[in-house]
Amino acid sequence: MFFDLNIVGNSFENNIILAKEASKYGWDHINFSYSQNDFSNALNFKKELQEELCEDISIDYTLEIKSNNINEIRKSVSKFRNKALCISVVGGDLKVNRSSLENVKIDVLSRPYLKRYDSGLNHVLAKEALKNNVAVELCFNDILKSYLSYRSKIISNFKDVYTLYWKYDFPLILSSRAHSIFDIRTTHDFVAFFKQTGLSDGDIDKSFHTASEILEFNKNRENMIFKGVRRVDDGS
Amino acid sequence: MGLKVLPPTLRKNNRYLTVDIKSESGITKDDLVTIVWDACVRFQGELNSGNFNLWVMKFYECDNNGEFYSYKAIIRCQRDYVDEVRSSLALANRFNGSRISITTIGLSGTIKSSDKFI
Repeated sequence: MFFDLNIVGNSFENNIILAKEASKYGWDHINFSYSQNDFSNALNFKKELQEELCEDISIDYTLEIKSNNINEIRKSVSKFRNKALCISVVGGDLKVNRSSLENVKIDVLSRPYLKRYDSGLNHVLAKEALKNNVAVELCFNDILKSYLSYRSKIISNFKDVYTLYWKYDFPLILSSRAHSIFDIRTTHDFVAFFKQTGLSDGDIDKSFHTASEILEFNKNRENMIFKGVRRVDDGS
Repeated sequence: MGLKVLPPTLRKNNRYLTVDIKSESGITKDDLVTIVWDACVRFQGELNSGNFNLWVMKFYECDNNGEFYSYKAIIRCQRDYVDEVRSSLALANRFNGSRISITTIGLSGTIKSSDKFI
């Protein structure tokens, strides 16, 4: 199953075009990401969108929090936790990276390397990611939209993340972060690119599996009493 | 007089990629050749691109839906370098200032069988 948890959400019509293109290219599930300001408005047409696309592809929403203020991130997470199936925080700032990986309510730390000269992760943060089950997301679009030395540096950051991933085995997810149909590629191309950067077939399969696990876990989150204890419906 | 055909054991094994191309502006087959080579040399370097045995075999113009021009093409590459070529083509995103997208929709061992993806 091919999951993409980060396709940039737009209007209802644009989302349909993007989803149909993704379906044509072999994707099984996509999440449209919206910022904390647009998320509430986007929820208004979510059901309609799902009904329109139910025959082609399954879709959902990701809340993408973009802020350098840790308190604001914490407030947004608490506010939207019950409404969003996946919450990701855009990284880059070291404080944001750390606070996101330490927060169990956050599902994904997106692009910890953003606007940095290093990967934005170290062994301490990698252990935190594993402990709190926060996935680290790498975006194909960052490579696609850059060129020459900038592209090389981002690939180098990816490789630093892979080194930590192989040692600490934290959840890693790969996504396209497509803005338009020009940014969507077939699943085979997507896999081939990440293989070229150094990931194995097994790692890539695992990343798609991790993405599906995040969504599955969050569907049951309201039944979670605390970590390891879940309320089960016995059917009576 | 041309060169004698090599025996089968010395011939290169080829694969044919059927690619789907979207472009904001119209492109020709020659433009595609430039795009393909540029993408491969940029991502894989001059040394590796020499192994790929690249050739644009066929170029088809598809319907223009008003938002973008759509094309399909069959590109030849060497058997062991399919992933390298695929990933390089996937990273092509601009040509002459307009946006372009190339993605591989089919892979086959002969040109004839790759026609089914067109």
